[in-house]
Amino acid sequence: MTGSAPALSIRGLTKRYDDGTRALDSLDLEVPAGEFFGLLGPNGAGKTTLINAVCNLLRITDGEIDVFGCPASSLEARRTVGLAEQDTNLDRFLTVREALLYHGGYYGITRRHSAERAEEMIDVFDLRAKADVRAPKLSGGMRRRLLLARALLHEPRLVILDEPTAGVDIELRRELWRYIRMLHSRGTTILLTTHYLEEAEALCEEIALITGGEIVARSTPEGLKQQFGARTLEDVYLKAVHEPREKAA
Amino acid sequence: MSAPDASIADAPAVRPEPWRGLAWLAARECLRVSKLWTQTMLAPVVSSILFILVFGLSLGSRIREVSGFEYDVFIVPGLIAMAMAQAAYSNNSSSIFQARSDRYIDDVLAAPMHPWQINLGLTIGGAFRALLIGIALGALAIPLTGAPIERPLALGAAALLLVALFGALGVIVGIYAETFDHHTFINNIVILPLTFVGGVFYSVEILPSPWEQLSHANPLFYVVNAVRYGFLGSSDASVWLSFAVTTAIAAAMVAWSQYLFSTGRRLKP
Repeated sequence: MTGSAPALSIRGLTKRYDDGTRALDSLDLEVPAGEFFGLLGPNGAGKTTLINAVCNLLRITDGEIDVFGCPASSLEARRTVGLAEQDTNLDRFLTVREALLYHGGYYGITRRHSAERAEEMIDVFDLRAKADVRAPKLSGGMRRRLLLARALLHEPRLVILDEPTAGVDIELRRELWRYIRMLHSRGTTILLTTHYLEEAEALCEEIALITGGEIVARSTPEGLKQQFGARTLEDVYLKAVHEPREKAA
Repeated sequence: MSAPDASIADAPAVRPEPWRGLAWLAARECLRVSKLWTQTMLAPVVSSILFILVFGLSLGSRIREVSGFEYDVFIVPGLIAMAMAQAAYSNNSSSIFQARSDRYIDDVLAAPMHPWQINLGLTIGGAFRALLIGIALGALAIPLTGAPIERPLALGAAALLLVALFGALGVIVGIYAETFDHHTFINNIVILPLTFVGGVFYSVEILPSPWEQLSHANPLFYVVNAVRYGFLGSSDASVWLSFAVTTAIAAAMVAWSQYLFSTGRRLKP
């Protein structure tokens, strides 16, 4: 694992599902280490498919994925990635504390360190009052907090957040923004997908627009606006993603 | 939401420790068994003891010896084998089906563990549950009936093969099942009937032709006989054949479940 390697390097990634649907089509993408990178696109564009491919949750059809210079399927690469999925996929049998503790164990952390990190994450994400409550009994906001705490517990160098603020109230969204910014300021690479364009503009250093399984544009928020002659990121999104889709239809 | 204490990015690169992951995954599966103990442990032990009390002690006195043993002694090995088989299967199929259904299996599949370690970790829960049930039933049934343990090493080997076979079958069904009905279907329509006609309650030697010959085509007949040999020191079929068939089926099931984890088929889209 080399220090100068990009956090994520994807070459020719293709995913065709068993029903024939081509979700990703020879996609190339490189995310430099330490960057806050946004991935925007409509539902079904391929964002979650791409994330699942990086996280060993998908059988890819073709292509190569490296994480910090290691093949994404290697144990070394998987140890460095933290994923907060779009769905709140929490273990129904475990309490908040256990969910964090066991996650640390799955990632090879010692019991003592995992317990320390679990308590730390419980405090960071204000989960103390619910620490001994099982996941199905948590509110939506609490589940979202637990998902993020779990993703960060093993101190990943690349944090992948798949629509982390979907369905959460404004207060929690702002808190999450603040925390994610803090992580990034300390050098963690962030890959964020979101449908909230203002969120992407506020947080991301670079944004890629994806539609139909292909990256159609990539630049800084300002760079995208200049490239598309648009005043807002929403205008960019409409020009880059929706107009080609409408023409194609 | 407060600030983290230390810089995550500055943390030293940590080597993956897949063995530790395996231990935690196995511990999680055992924790699930213990949290659901009334369902996973108490119910099967009580129902098997009821079988021994009703069939063995109540009706047994009206049945003459079977294969040279009192009837209540004769049925103990088969009933323990049946309870252990169902426990190993049900535990793993339901645990993995729930993990897939709620998608928390993603947390395990994304973790730095080898596919065989994930397979083994998930299988251990069923083995833990089955072995505990076997020990509990033995502790209750042996004093009640006076059933011996003539070949303890053979019994241990048979018990391990049994939990490997049915634990792996549970993993496979848990991975293939689309609904919870699929999991119960295999248990009720395949495992339970084949175990019943595999000589749990009778010696197949007393069956008329062709039923005796057909019983030898039932793979669970050999599993029951391997366990019975461990307890009673004798069985309906050759002990070597019983162990060979049980080993072959267990190996096939373990290979199949490992194939699913190694390729990601059914587990990953």
